[in-house]
Amino acid sequence: MSDAAVTRPTPSQSLLLRNLAVFAENRLAAGSAILVLIFVALALFAPLIAPQDPNATDLFRRLQPPAWQAGGDWAHVLGCDALGRDILSRIIYGSRVSMLVGATVVFIATSIGILAGLAAGYLGGWVDTIISRTVDILLGFPYLIFAIGLMAMMGAGLGNIILALVYKEWVIPCRVVRAETLATREQEYVEAARALGASNRHIMLREILPNILSPVIVVSTIRMANVIILEASLSFLGLGVQPPTASWGAMVADGRAFIMQAWWVSTFPGLAILLLVLALNVASQGLRDAFDPRFHE
Amino acid sequence: MRKLTSAGLAALIAFGATSQTVAAKDLVIGFSADAATLDPANHRDTNTETIIREMYDGILTRDPAMHVVPQLAESYKQISPTVYEFKIRKGVKFHDGSTMTAEDVKFTLDRIWEKGGLGDGQTSPRQSLLGPIKSVDVVNGDTLRVTLSAPWSLLPAMLPFQEVVSKAFVGKVGTAGMATQEDGTGPFQLVQWNKGDSVVMKRFDDYWGGKACVDRVIFKTIPESSSRVAALLAGDAQIIDHLPPYAVSQVNASGNAKAVFVNGTRSYFIAMNLTEKPFTDIRVREAIAHAIDKPLVINKILGGHAVAINGILSPDAFGKNKALKGLAYDPALSRKLLKEAGYPNGIKVTMDVTGPDKDTAEAVASLMAKGGITTKVQVGESAMLGSKWRTMGKPKTGDMYFTSWGNGSLDPQGIFMPTHHTDGRGNSSGYSNPKVDKLLDGAAVEVDRAKRAAMYEQAEAIAAKDVAYIYLWVPQDIYGVSKRLSGWQPSPDGRLNLVKACLK
Amino acid sequence: MSLTKLVERLVQLVPVLLGVSVIVFLMMAMTPGDPVQIMIGDQNVSAAQEAQLRHDLGLDRPAYERLALFIGHAATGNFGESFYYKRPVAQVIAERLPATIELSVVALLIALMTAIPLGVLAAVKKNSVLDKLATVGSLLGVSLPGFWFGILLLMLFAVQLHILPVSGRMGFATSIKPITGFLLIDTLLRGDPAAFLDALKHILLPAITLGLPMTAVLMRVTRTSMLEVLRQDYITFAEAKGLSRTRILIRHALKNALIPTVSVAAIETGSLLGGNMIVETVFGWPGLGRLVVDSIFVRDYPLVQAAVLLYAVTYVLLNFVADILYTFLNPRVKL
Repeated sequence: MSDAAVTRPTPSQSLLLRNLAVFAENRLAAGSAILVLIFVALALFAPLIAPQDPNATDLFRRLQPPAWQAGGDWAHVLGCDALGRDILSRIIYGSRVSMLVGATVVFIATSIGILAGLAAGYLGGWVDTIISRTVDILLGFPYLIFAIGLMAMMGAGLGNIILALVYKEWVIPCRVVRAETLATREQEYVEAARALGASNRHIMLREILPNILSPVIVVSTIRMANVIILEASLSFLGLGVQPPTASWGAMVADGRAFIMQAWWVSTFPGLAILLLVLALNVASQGLRDAFDPRFHE
Repeated sequence: MRKLTSAGLAALIAFGATSQTVAAKDLVIGFSADAATLDPANHRDTNTETIIREMYDGILTRDPAMHVVPQLAESYKQISPTVYEFKIRKGVKFHDGSTMTAEDVKFTLDRIWEKGGLGDGQTSPRQSLLGPIKSVDVVNGDTLRVTLSAPWSLLPAMLPFQEVVSKAFVGKVGTAGMATQEDGTGPFQLVQWNKGDSVVMKRFDDYWGGKACVDRVIFKTIPESSSRVAALLAGDAQIIDHLPPYAVSQVNASGNAKAVFVNGTRSYFIAMNLTEKPFTDIRVREAIAHAIDKPLVINKILGGHAVAINGILSPDAFGKNKALKGLAYDPALSRKLLKEAGYPNGIKVTMDVTGPDKDTAEAVASLMAKGGITTKVQVGESAMLGSKWRTMGKPKTGDMYFTSWGNGSLDPQGIFMPTHHTDGRGNSSGYSNPKVDKLLDGAAVEVDRAKRAAMYEQAEAIAAKDVAYIYLWVPQDIYGVSKRLSGWQPSPDGRLNLVKACLK
Repeated sequence: MSLTKLVERLVQLVPVLLGVSVIVFLMMAMTPGDPVQIMIGDQNVSAAQEAQLRHDLGLDRPAYERLALFIGHAATGNFGESFYYKRPVAQVIAERLPATIELSVVALLIALMTAIPLGVLAAVKKNSVLDKLATVGSLLGVSLPGFWFGILLLMLFAVQLHILPVSGRMGFATSIKPITGFLLIDTLLRGDPAAFLDALKHILLPAITLGLPMTAVLMRVTRTSMLEVLRQDYITFAEAKGLSRTRILIRHALKNALIPTVSVAAIETGSLLGGNMIVETVFGWPGLGRLVVDSIFVRDYPLVQAAVLLYAVTYVLLNFVADILYTFLNPRVKL
């Protein structure tokens, strides 16, 4: 394989550094990226950070208010839920579910989406027809209803949430990849590789993929925020992880009944969702601005 | 833009100022569910029945003490073990002005018990509530005779579940029309049904039992409990159902409303898979019972508004064994029993539960852990858990099931038979004891009340000794009522009976 | 777009809808849990009576037969009878649909009415404090979980301040005989301004919650396309001619800048439908979203199948409309 024959636009080292520099200059985006990393650290080191066992119930601390309110104490800074469990610790452990679901779903969906999109865009013909029709059909379902139906079918649990979301999520990167592939496939270097007798597989994975990867990654980071909200929504509707595992959406739902008696139970986990999703959105916007000049205003 | 925002704010404030004037004689019920249909014969839903019952009457009903008493029948008597006679009240008017006759009552029952009786080839989903009816006949004008194909002592207790419809009206609107229209004999008649939102009724002035006090009754659907409480406190609703225990003190402190309680009819218990290890060993079952501090859970989670039970029956039920002693809270004894049973390190089990009972189940599970029973709570939909546990004798998968069984009739047969008889529909434990079966079968056809009660007492003692289930408690039903309301009390069967309710 | 193209696009919708029908049917068929068990509840019912109930619901037929029946009937507009409501599914859906449409339309209006002015202002005053605030606001808008934001709004406006109602679609004493089913219209047609205000108070919080993410997205789109338009030659030319700034903005820039906003709005309306069930659950709104979720839990197969199919039709049509709008408003695009 002589790459030297055609000049293929590889993302150069210096360009990557320059883009990263642009990203770092955007203080808001960089700050958000740090916040996301803090959440990742929380998730990874939850057992070291959390002040209490997140699942230890104590009925005598039922609905204990946060530390600064009358009846609260500093051992349970953000108060306790209906079973007397420490809310702060549950939020810290809850970040695991959000992060894990967000990252896994996006990773699997993007991988599937890339393969399907490449195949549809490059091979065309009946492969394209089948993939595109499947995409159209899946797009016809409202996202949440589709996920609710799947969860009812498969039952609650972490693995099932991931599956339920992946089933529809892959469609989004798939469409992006297909469109990008269609635009790329008539490019000179692809033609050249084909003329040199490269296999379809080689062309798709080695020639086209590296050049369309950056918009796909940008889309994926944006989707991660959405996936986290979707997981929280499913948990909120009672179709999430199994108890006693803490999940932010389920915590908001649990606290909703007590909202007039104990505002803290659902307020803090909701705030955690907002912070993480906001940080992800700001950071991914920064990434997009830095890496994909087409989005520059 | 700035102008626009301030205009928006002004409008917002103006909204607040124009408060809706609620007519003084409108009784609003903040109700957790809407009716599924208005056809008394075509549903299986308690909430629907509660709403319908304000517009329809039954042949029989229950008094506040839950005794079965005549309603549209003037009187009734049992002629033989299989024949009952009802004397139908005269001069009762349907809402359309026509007079109710024994023919209407016969039609009502035929519509339910006969195969295809509903019309359009359909059979009433309430058929099974009526037992083994052979025929319903009108004898000499106002007397109705119900003949059973086998003795069934439950008939009077089950008749309050059915409402009398007008034969002519059903003929006119058909089964399809019955779903959204009504022509009952009840104290209120339908004005409008805003599906999913509210059922509006007005007083029926020709009500045979004396006309109601309020002008209108509005069942407002408010599924969210915190929203129901807010509606009560704001004075928008005068009665709300399912007041959560933790909101009781807030409602009582509000000054304009209070919480009222009535013993419920739903027994909570934990089923264990009796066909599988380790639950085949009675010492393990006893260990579980000893590990649960029922008073603690009742006080902390249920706000003290529940009665602990040591057998399946509610303390108010007929035939309750009052002498029954429970297995007291003693986690040390639990561990000892487990050790004796060959589990020195305790056991690890999973407990299924539906979403609404999740909190309580988790509290129970954390107590069980201290007794050496490490319990993982697993939440499932009721649709799924029903199929998983209510297998009617077929093998089960799963360890334990935190569940409940409602018994609106308060007759033991409605709860004892399904949960404890071999292969019963609600026998989630898979319990089977020939002695209990014999007692239950006998009591079902026993006519002598004292003998029947004794049979149930004996059965309850045997089942408790076998630890067929871990019996937990019967929660009280809690309602929030406005202080403007008078003449109203909650009823254990969940009926609202609003005819005598008045508003200041 | 030529007529043949239009027809061709419409014909392409058929396999999509067929696919949706099959998937939703299979999903319900494969879901464990038994509608008959749910109907029976806590009652001692004999096996024969249970079989009778199953037969009456048509559940004793094999799955492939039920699928064929469902698709055959659906094609003729017959969706069968709801297991739970015991009425024709079409009727039950039709009763709930106006509430959902009304909520979505008001949310859409709120979104358009806030997003367009804000987006334009942010573009015109690029990098000003207002622009930055709008950017932060739009980021917040897409990041707020609807179920949580709705609860916060309820707490503030209904529970603390008592200026807006807690739940439902109309006041406790309000009852309006339906004409169109849209309360905001019916109350006016019936000449009842108090009831209109009541309905408006009820719809405000759910509509804001539902419309917020859309507002955020539309604002970004408007701002971006406005910036693009403002850079165009003809704007510079108009400025050179000495036309007033406002006149240029409204007469020339806005008209062109709104093209992407409108078509994105059409597509986003589809996701508005998907967000309905959360908002309807939080605010006790008697709409289709809540109905579908409840029906999934009680395994009301006919109702779920029909409602999902309706969602799909709407969604697909909205996308179709978005395409047409885009072509229609922007003659440069040829489909």
